[in-house]
Amino acid sequence: MGIKLYTEPQLEKPLMFVGWPGIGKIGIMAVNILRDILKAEQLGEIESWDFFYPKKVSIRDGLLEDLDFPSNKFYYQRLEKQDVIFFIGEEQPSERERVYASGERAYRMANLVVDAALKFGCQRVYTSGACVSMTHHQIKPRVCAVLSSEHLIEEVKKYSNTVLMSELGERREGEGTITGLNGLLLAVAKTRGLESMCLMGEIPDWLSGASFPYPKASRSVLEVFAEILGIAIDLNFLDNMETRIGEIIEGFYEKFPPELKEEYDQRKSLARAEPGKITIQAQIYIDDRFQKGGDEGGERPI
Amino acid sequence: MVGWQTQDIGKLGSRVIDFLIERLGGQEIAEIKPLGFHAFAGVRFKDDLVQVPQSKFWACEKDNLLLFKSDEPAFEHYHFLNLILDFAEHRYQTKEVYTLNGATSYAPHTLPRRILTVFNQPELKESLSGFGLEAMTWEGPPAISSYLLWVAKRRSVSGVSLWSQVPFYLAAREDPQAIKLTLSFLNRRFDFDLNLKRFDREIQDQNEKIADLREEDAEINKYISMLESGMKLDEEEQLKLVKQVYELLEK
Repeated sequence: MGIKLYTEPQLEKPLMFVGWPGIGKIGIMAVNILRDILKAEQLGEIESWDFFYPKKVSIRDGLLEDLDFPSNKFYYQRLEKQDVIFFIGEEQPSERERVYASGERAYRMANLVVDAALKFGCQRVYTSGACVSMTHHQIKPRVCAVLSSEHLIEEVKKYSNTVLMSELGERREGEGTITGLNGLLLAVAKTRGLESMCLMGEIPDWLSGASFPYPKASRSVLEVFAEILGIAIDLNFLDNMETRIGEIIEGFYEKFPPELKEEYDQRKSLARAEPGKITIQAQIYIDDRFQKGGDEGGERPI
Repeated sequence: MVGWQTQDIGKLGSRVIDFLIERLGGQEIAEIKPLGFHAFAGVRFKDDLVQVPQSKFWACEKDNLLLFKSDEPAFEHYHFLNLILDFAEHRYQTKEVYTLNGATSYAPHTLPRRILTVFNQPELKESLSGFGLEAMTWEGPPAISSYLLWVAKRRSVSGVSLWSQVPFYLAAREDPQAIKLTLSFLNRRFDFDLNLKRFDREIQDQNEKIADLREEDAEINKYISMLESGMKLDEEEQLKLVKQVYELLEK
């Protein structure tokens, strides 16, 4: 069990971008799109069998050809100003059938990712995910940051449309939990002396149980990624998907009872000041409209 | 030889292993402890009895055979499967692995069963070509037996999974015909000289019970006749047949 490298390129202080599936697929979509845009090449993989049950078997004419496991792959690219490594995990190695990673296996996987980061001399690791907040779906999602050390604060404040968790207004002193590997990796990286940062795209609380992606927030995260790398990226190709998903969301929104809609719409004016709180009744109404998974998870307020 | 007693279609895996232990004088020699492989959040019970996950090895010295019967692990599958092969390979230099399984089928109980096979190496497939086994083709979620074959292949241990067809309405009960078919193959393959007459009686008894049910219940008779003609049943019809036969064989 371990890391299998296909190649060992000489990279100069690369940045590592990491994505696993989570709420709204915000983080993994952002990391995947950035990898595609930069045409990153395959670097290696974490051997999956110790972490996952295989997804598929191929048997042809009585011969077992292969087992297909969820992939955990590294990619790399040399940019003009900055080398980058990507790690994309198709699934989180969960225990006891939970959706989000926890326990020893998650810890081992996080360490393997950091092993690769240190081997190639990475200077920093970025993870991404969703920040479930009291925002409104018609507002551009902000990017919320959690950092491994204080000296990164000034840097984050320079990113556009980015806030520290403590500035979000909903969390006391910026407290909360980043569930799963997008969070655990920050801790493992920090304990092993590697700077780390989680950049989370905002998603309205009532959409956190939806099964469809939330590309609007992925776009916000991608814009920050582009700033970090000092590159311009064209995200127009996301328009169609955003429109399609937006129509689904508007469909739900239109069916809100008038009093709930009025209460929810207050978020548009309060969003950048003091966000309102969604009532318990309203949340129950909303939750009933989604088939929620049986697992707590994602980046939720405590 | 490996038999799984979790989701054991037609009770094939466990009955074949139990029969071999009994007839070949298998001695219990080892077990894999369940901690780490099963949830211990409570206890499962069945027919009023507490069920504890078990994973045990038996050795049949005279026939140079190692038997393993187990519940499927809930966690750490890769580690668990390697433990089986570690023991078999390091202690007994096992060269071939056979997994024994039932496969649900639309074929009715009145038609002969077939054994479908999955091999992890073409050489073993070639060497068993004269035994009337049929090749399986399948893409989809893997059974633990396929996972075991894959792990064995990585360790250069050849293996085959035997999937004896079991009519779907017998899947939750025993299918003595499929059990006998698997044992007949093993008898020929390993010259065990096992007397399988016990199963002839069981098959006859089961067939008579189902024949009586067909006489009593025109709907059940119609469903089985449809299967005999190669026709498919809808979900409701399948459910009724499964329920009726399940209750019948409980008596």
